Order: sequence, then structure tokens, then C-alpha cells
Amino acid sequence: MQKAFGKKSIILLFIFPAFLIYTLFVIVSIVWAGYYSFFDWSGVGEKIFIGLQNYIELLSRDDVFRSTIWHTVIYTIINVLIQVFGGLLFAILLSRVTKGRVALQTLYYVPVVISSVAICQIFSKLLSVTPTGVVNQLLSVFNPALKVMEWTSNPNISLYVTAFVEGYKYLGLYMVIFYAALIGVPDELGEAARIDGASLFQEYWHVRIPYIKPVIVANCLLVLNGSLRSFEFSYLLTHGGPGNASELMTTYMYKQAFTSMKYGYGSAVAIMIVIICLIVGVLFKKITGEEAEK
Amino acid sequence: MKKKTIAMLLAAVMSVSAVLTGCGQSSGGAGTSGETAEHNAPEAQGDSSDTVPDTGERTKITALLKGTESTEQFQVFDHLLSNFCQENGLEYEIELVNDMQDYFTKLQMYINSNTLPDIYGCPNGTLSRACLDIDAMVDVGAELKRNGYYDKMNGAIIDFLTDADDGNLYLFPQGLYCEYFMYRTDLFEQAGVTDAPTTWAEFEEACQKIAATGEIPVIVGGSDAWQLMRYLSFSPWRVTGDDFITNYQAGTDSFSDNDSAKYAVELLNRLGTEGYFEPGFASVDFTSACNLFFGGTGAIFYTGSGQIGLAEEMYDEGKLGFFPVPDTEGMDNMSTNVPIHAGFAEGFNKATYDATMQAFFDYMCENFSEACYTKAQIFSPFNEDLPEGLPQLYYDTQPMFATAETAWTSWDDKLDSDVLTKIVDEQQKLAQGIVTPNDFISTCDSLISK
Repeated sequence: MQKAFGKKSIILLFIFPAFLIYTLFVIVSIVWAGYYSFFDWSGVGEKIFIGLQNYIELLSRDDVFRSTIWHTVIYTIINVLIQVFGGLLFAILLSRVTKGRVALQTLYYVPVVISSVAICQIFSKLLSVTPTGVVNQLLSVFNPALKVMEWTSNPNISLYVTAFVEGYKYLGLYMVIFYAALIGVPDELGEAARIDGASLFQEYWHVRIPYIKPVIVANCLLVLNGSLRSFEFSYLLTHGGPGNASELMTTYMYKQAFTSMKYGYGSAVAIMIVIICLIVGVLFKKITGEEAEK
Repeated sequence: MKKKTIAMLLAAVMSVSAVLTGCGQSSGGAGTSGETAEHNAPEAQGDSSDTVPDTGERTKITALLKGTESTEQFQVFDHLLSNFCQENGLEYEIELVNDMQDYFTKLQMYINSNTLPDIYGCPNGTLSRACLDIDAMVDVGAELKRNGYYDKMNGAIIDFLTDADDGNLYLFPQGLYCEYFMYRTDLFEQAGVTDAPTTWAEFEEACQKIAATGEIPVIVGGSDAWQLMRYLSFSPWRVTGDDFITNYQAGTDSFSDNDSAKYAVELLNRLGTEGYFEPGFASVDFTSACNLFFGGTGAIFYTGSGQIGLAEEMYDEGKLGFFPVPDTEGMDNMSTNVPIHAGFAEGFNKATYDATMQAFFDYMCENFSEACYTKAQIFSPFNEDLPEGLPQLYYDTQPMFATAETAWTSWDDKLDSDVLTKIVDEQQKLAQGIVTPNDFISTCDSLISK
């Protein structure tokens, strides 16, 4: 058996089904969207070939698309901070807890298994202004003016609220990953640091966290990937609004294709999302690769 | 070699099973997406072959409807199809898609592949034109004239569904929906508002008095586009009918050139920025807004015959009153002041419209009113006497539209999808004061000139 799985041909044969499905549902879809992006098409009737017109308009005249790129960058940064660094902090705290650790771990993980739709519904009610939601009710105890504080309908903060909700959902997942990585750090390293006079903070900062750096980098990449393609939280909580205040590239693509019935233009937005994700991925790999070499 | 063969076979089986699983999910429909359902007549057994037009060998009637099993369209058509098919030894199948965008996508798929079912829900606009382009719509107006039901149909409903290009009627109404403002009589009394407002100036004055008592003047579902868009379209509709929006889309009129449109822009901005809408209105959907108002919050709410079930109890207790769309002062308003529309209308597939479907059409016309009142609790589009036993609100609101000839002009139907989407985004900013009325006007005018 081991001999069989050691052979490249056998390995390739077993990888083939997954590769086939990936090619069919991802690569072919991207190529198909690329094809549509050269047309003016409402979804019904004839497709009119317009060449690069969609891309020219997208990059030179579409202010909303440019704002969605900026919104997506901010959204991604917030999610990396909450999910990766928040997850790491929670994992560190969890590793210091001796009693009730399993229960705490489970509680923090619960949002991960709840569907995004349910999470959005819960937060819509929690953050409701009329009728007053739980959050505003609690805040009004400290300041009565906060009873009418708007969250998802406030154009200045709706994007941050949406990012927070997604961060809240997935924080538990990365906490669990980091916890597993932290408990894999050899105890001797920590002991040696303590013998050398390191404080608890210094032990974590200079020994344990650098030891799990590959895990941090991998999680950053996962969160980056997820946030750049994030759709459901923005769409369900705010529909990209008020106006376009919390519009992401993906929600904008959806609106163009399915609400505005501009399938060609929506496909052009989709291709731009693919290009931007590739660029960000390559840059990230390069930066983290250079640091690793150092 | 043997191991290689076994490995290849295993890999092939995994590939085929994975692909077949995907195919199985996409054709299964019911129970997978949670948004579609197929329903068969009680006798739906055996052969489920597709219909055969014009040969008298039809075995099934198919329908694509928007909504769920609790929505009016399904309740009416399920009732009619069930009875008709039972009498004629046929099966029927209703495909339901709840989400609006998913429904449009499904309908587009059927249009593009020219595989429309026998009956399909279709809004009067881009999609109905696409159906006409592939000659997939029966001339419903001609059929109604043939069976004598054309003259029985409410004039405003006919006006609402008449095709703008050729003046024919290709869609059958879902029902007759009239819209009006409901108000809390106790809150009006408390604020010293003695009469229901008849002009927008009176409306704002009433809002000011109600706000002074600490109550919320107007409840609005700001996250649902149509709710805010109503306030934007009331004045142009009352003053110009469908002229403004039709000409705006054609590029021959603009917000800046039309006084009623400018008035409406400023009205929506004032209502939002003066605090007459409930706090956080931009994140409240229509269902939540209904729950708020009929649960006792707010003094005024724009609603209609679709919510009579919710309003019934409070109305019977004298806690609610209603008034039509106010006049725009200083302008010549048309007499019709109650928006009337046909809901999400249905088309009949011309390619499959055989003798059986024609018989169903006649059966539907004969029994449609009964189905509307007994099954769905909505007004029938036919001008017939109301049956006994309905909530009092039916009888009291019916005189408002009984002789109406002019329909409501829905901007959803008149505007290009892209323009509509952009106006929806801008109207929220306008209502929240993020943009000024002048900014809104100049943005909206630039959408068409582009």
C-alpha cells in the first residue's frame, strides 16, 4: 500500500477528480465570466460585443467601484485584526486557563458553526434602533442619547459594523487553530526564557509567538482570501448601504449583474476582483517569503 | 499494472460520482435550496411527461410563481389549478421561487432557453418585453374580450398592465392592490390633529404636531427600496400620471425641469432630516415596519390592502383610520389619489396555449374573485360585489377605487434596471440627509444623460 501511494502516477490519479471539479467550477467559470465581460448584455436577448468598454468605464469613470476597492481594503484589515490577532489573543488567554477551558473553547467556537444568515439576523435585532435593540438599551444606561445610536444605517460606521460581525463569526475558528499551535510549542523553550529572566509577556513575544509564525502567516492568508471575497455580511446586514457606504467589490458585482441586469459589466467587476485577489496574494507571499528568508 | 488499473477505476468512479452529485442537486429543486418547491395535484401519479400543445394530449399544467406557499399568488393559483385539474383529470406543477432576484434569474433562464412554463409570473417591463420578443405571451386582453370578462375588469388594473408599446394586455393581474396611509386615531387626537391631511403641507404639519408629543410621526421601511421610492413618486404621479417617469427614462424630462419631481425630492429630504421617520429607518425592512406600526409604534404608515389582515382588529376597534395620497399644493393634481396596481402579474405561454389552457383561462376568470376573497384575502381585479363576511376595511376602502381608471405608476416597471438601482442608492442618502436635494437631482439627471 505504501509503495503504491509512493508512486507519482497513483497520487496524480487521486488528485485528478478534485482537479477536474476545480477546473470545471472555478477556472471555467472565470473564463466564462471573462467572455461575458466583453459584452453588453442584460441577461435576456442579444449579447452586444463592446470589447474593452466595460473595463474602460470601470477603471476610469466608475467612482463607486473605486470606493468599493477602498472599502474592501478597510474591511480586510479589520477582519485580519479581529480574526487573526484577536484569535491569537484569545488563544493565549485560553492557554492560560486551567478550569473550564473546554467549555470556553466551545462557547467561542459556536458562532463559527451558526450560519451567516442567522448571525446577521441576530445582529440586526441586537443593533436595532426602532424598536430599541439590546445594544442601544445597554448603552442608554450610560448615556441616554445613545438609545438612538444608528449602527447599520449610519453611513460613517456601517462598514466597520459589518466587518466586526464577520470578525465575530470567525474569531473562534482562528482561536482554535492558534491554540493548537501554542500548545505545540516545546515547554523547554518557555522554561529557558523564564530562567533567563523573561517576563510572561516577553516569553510570549520573543519565544512562543515567533515559534508559531508560520501558522500566523497561514491564517493571515486565509483571512485575506476570505475577506476579499466576502459578500453575505455586507449584503444581508446593509445591502451595501446606506447608499454605497458599506459596498464591497463583491456586493457591487452582484448588484451590477443581477439587480441592474448588466451581466457584462458585472462580469468585468468579477474579473477585476480575481485580478485584485491574485495581486494581493502574490504580494503577500512575496512579503512573507522575504521575511522568512531574512 | 493491476494496481494501476484499480487506481484508475477508483479515480474514474470518484469523478463521476462527484459530477453526478452536482447534477442531482441542481435538478432536484425542492429541499435543497429551500427556495423552490414543486406541488402536484392530489392525483399526480404515474407519467410526468411534458405537455403536448394543440393535440389534446396535455397531461400537466406547469406554473412558475414568485413567493412561498403562504403568499397570495400561490394560494389563488393552487386553488384554481387544483380544482380545474381534478375536474379534467390533469396534473399540475407549481415551481416557487421566493427571492425576487432569484426569481428574475430563473425567469431569465427560461426565457433564454425558450422553455417557459404554461403560466409564469412576470413584471410589466423589461422581462415582459423579452417574453414578447420570443412570442411567448398570450394576448390576455383578447382572451378577456372573447370570454366577456374584459369589461368586468377594473379600469385602473387594465391601465396598469397595458403594454406601453402596442396598447395590448399581455398580463393577467395577481389581484387588485390599493395603497393608502393608515393613521392612529388616538395619536392624531393627542397631537390635536383633527382631520386627516389632504395636502402634503397638512401632512408635514401633522408630523410636526405628532413629533412634538414625543411620538414617531411616520413609520417607513427604509431598507426596502419601494417604501422610500413611494414618497419620491407620489407627487409626480398625482400631477403628471406616468408622463414624468416615462419621459425621464426617455431623456426628455428631468428632475431639475419638473416641478412635481423637485417637490417630491425636497419632501423626502425633509421627512427624513426633520426626524419624522423613525430612528434607524434606513435599516428597517417593510415587514419590521408593519410589525412596528401594527404593534403600536408610530402615527402614520403607508400600507394598503395587502395588510388588511394586520389592520383589521385595530380598525374594528376604531384605533385606525386611513387617507389617500395627499395633493401637491400649488399644482394641478389628478382626481385618482389611490395607487392601484395588479401585484406580480402572470403571463400565459403562447407556445403551449392550447384548448386545455384556454379552458383553464375561462375557468380562472369565472372563479378568480372567489379564490381572491376566500383563499388569499385580496381584492379581485374584477368589479364584482364583495362577498359577505370580509373584514370591514374591505368594504370601507373599496369605494376609493371602484371607479378608478388611472393606475399607479411604478418606477420599478418604468425605469431601466441600472438607473433604478442607482436611484435606490441615492434616495437613501437623500432621506438621511447625506446628500442635499440639489445633489440628488443633479446625480439622477446625470444617470440618463450618460
